[in-house]
Amino acid sequence: MRRLGAHWLLLLLLAVAVPVLGATQHEVEEALTCQCGCGLTVHSCNHLNCGSGEPMKKEIAERLARGESKDIILAAFSSKYGEKVLSSPTFSGFNWFAWVTPFAAVLIGASILTLAIRRKVRAPASAPVAPSVTPTGDTERRERLRRELDDDDRE
Amino acid sequence: MNDIGRLAVCLALLCGVVSIIASVMGGVKRRSDLVRTGEHAAYATYGLVVLAVVILLHALLTHDFSLEYVAAYSSTTLPTNYVFAALWGGQKGSLLFWSFMLTTFTMIVEFQNRQRNRELMPWVTATLMTVSVFFLGLVVFITDPFERLPIPAVEGADLNPLLQNYWMMIHPPSLYTGYVSASVPFAFAIAALMTGRLGDQWIRSTRRWALFSWFFLTLGNLFGAMWAYEVLGWGGYWAWDPVENAAFMPWLVSTAYLHSVMIQEKKDMLRVWNMVLVLLTFSLTIFGTFLTRSGVISSVHSFTQSGLGPYFIGFLLLVILTAGAMVVYRLPELRTSGTIESFFSRESAFLFNNLILVGIAFAVFWGTVFPVLSEWVRGVKITVGPPFFNQVNAPLGVALLFLMGVGPVIAWRRATPRNLWKAFAWPVGTAVVAGIAFAVFAMPLGYAWATFTCAVFALSTVLQEFWRGMRARQALLHESAPRALNRLVGKNRRRYGGYLIHIGVVAVFIGVAASSAFRIEEQKTLEVGQDMTVGDYTLRYDRIETHEDGHMSSLAAVMSVFRDGQQIATLMPEKRFYKKPKQPTTEVANRSTLKEDLYLVLGSFDAETQLITILAYVNPLVVWIWLGGLIMAMGTAVAVWPVASEREARAYASDPMRVPAE
Repeated sequence: MRRLGAHWLLLLLLAVAVPVLGATQHEVEEALTCQCGCGLTVHSCNHLNCGSGEPMKKEIAERLARGESKDIILAAFSSKYGEKVLSSPTFSGFNWFAWVTPFAAVLIGASILTLAIRRKVRAPASAPVAPSVTPTGDTERRERLRRELDDDDRE
Repeated sequence: MNDIGRLAVCLALLCGVVSIIASVMGGVKRRSDLVRTGEHAAYATYGLVVLAVVILLHALLTHDFSLEYVAAYSSTTLPTNYVFAALWGGQKGSLLFWSFMLTTFTMIVEFQNRQRNRELMPWVTATLMTVSVFFLGLVVFITDPFERLPIPAVEGADLNPLLQNYWMMIHPPSLYTGYVSASVPFAFAIAALMTGRLGDQWIRSTRRWALFSWFFLTLGNLFGAMWAYEVLGWGGYWAWDPVENAAFMPWLVSTAYLHSVMIQEKKDMLRVWNMVLVLLTFSLTIFGTFLTRSGVISSVHSFTQSGLGPYFIGFLLLVILTAGAMVVYRLPELRTSGTIESFFSRESAFLFNNLILVGIAFAVFWGTVFPVLSEWVRGVKITVGPPFFNQVNAPLGVALLFLMGVGPVIAWRRATPRNLWKAFAWPVGTAVVAGIAFAVFAMPLGYAWATFTCAVFALSTVLQEFWRGMRARQALLHESAPRALNRLVGKNRRRYGGYLIHIGVVAVFIGVAASSAFRIEEQKTLEVGQDMTVGDYTLRYDRIETHEDGHMSSLAAVMSVFRDGQQIATLMPEKRFYKKPKQPTTEVANRSTLKEDLYLVLGSFDAETQLITILAYVNPLVVWIWLGGLIMAMGTAVAVWPVASEREARAYASDPMRVPAE
């Protein structure tokens, strides 16, 4: 059951990580890297007479006007400039590692942490009754005051 | 004169080596005379490095173009403040500057610990001087800033125009301070591993250094973002450039350490983990330096490509392997028997907070190195750009913000249902109401909505802590509200300073989410007198103004800004054309308010037709990011300010005749 939960969590994280495919000029420009060396996406490159960004923007607009989908446009640019023109790794082959690894690492870390905490958590039967640090009831104000008046910063 | 500079760095290197040998021998043989020799050699190293820096500065300020470095990074027309900044503007000077900062911090550490931590000090000195010797070795053997030209240049090539900005005086020194001071906790960690004194002592001795390093890393990152925002003119402040990532990663890991170290202090747990975080923070500073200077990964920040990469990788491997081996060797002693009593406890919340912070650091690292990995594995160059980092880090960032709300108020050890109710009823209630209001009136469900809602939750928990603490003092000590608040913070500086920092972080999250999700942008070519609209603003192009001096020429478009028919401002976005090297730069015009920035960029200008192209952005809540940084700075100041008991103890220590007041 717990494993199932982890899988759902992975799917959920991937789902929010996967870009929503659309076909607006802005989205396509954001999916492509300007080749002028600015390191920004075509959309963000502000060299207005940029020898790379401007023709790319124009071509995107023309292709969108012809009814081409985002995937087709990206494939066309990719075949022209190489895969480095895409601003993010594709969701295919080895590039999957780019997307999955960070989430997998966090999930594995969370699993290890959960197991470690479970191991450290005392069995309730054997544990001595420990008073909670956060006070309750009538003693709360006094306890809080004691904490505030206690100088926590003292070494 | 320059030969003295060269001699000074060579002697500094020699003194550094002497310091390492004497300190190690002193540490092994437990001979205080050798330990003192090591420390004196460290002082000498510092003095010699200062001399070298002064001589290089003199050469820069007197335009001594017989030096290759001076000729490459300054000129006679460069304003004096940038001539000064040229000290860290190029590869060679910046490595000398790095050595200067490191030896300065070493000297402060030696002075602070002349009477205490005597068992740790030989190893602290040896570690700090090893790092210094590495950098001085580069300065002496690879990147000599005192290298002479065969024929002195008549004029210098000047500093890169992009660096000719007042942030050049502020951002690199801040970031370097953060980077370099991370060496101090690292050195104490190594000393603890060497001596087997693995308790709290080394942590307590470096608490302020860790916070100091974290603080300057925070400032360095924020100042870099402000600089990019003002200068690069693409409407944003963070592009996930590899070098930005290199500065962000140690900040994340250092943040994780500042949280987890509290568990060690309170519960004597996580000794191994804290040790790893300190070692990792330092390793990431070296990795960042490697990224900037190796040319392995292309970045707009990189220094010119050099052969330094293998040296940094070699040093990084040495650090990781040596420190890793020492941690493994000491593992049995580092293990503690501390227990966690419940999942619902502050210990758990802090551990998950650590997981997310280190997870984000890993995601950033992974995205940064993945292009290199792809090239190795597939032989194909790919780009891992901002869309990747935004999509991967957004869910992790929201999770972090949520945990930031949980951590401060959940009980240590075990939270009962009653505790949870008392701690979270108000913050959760507020967040739910705010979340519904945001969804109905302001924004669709998504990351921005989740960030705003979690921000309300995190802010509520912190404000609740201030409020309840203040009310408790008022009720029982009959203090006025301002006095109760003042005493509350004054008595628990570390805790409430930390809460203030949380408020600052919440403001940064809000600013980042709003400016990323709700940016409006327009681009238009205008004739004189014509106007354009962006958001609620109407912009009218009035005229072009030009300016020229010996250093550069500039042209600025005078734009009148109207809202609701009323003129509210005149903005002048500029293009500058530097004469050496011939390179145009953008000077953004920005009208900043708490609600939004109106950010104008002059794209192009046609002298014949007087046509201009304007890029106009409305960036919501960007100021909140900078205000968040300011609040974080105030919180850090509160946290590091010595409490009365410490000041008294120090005064007493310095004057044994003085009797402390009861």
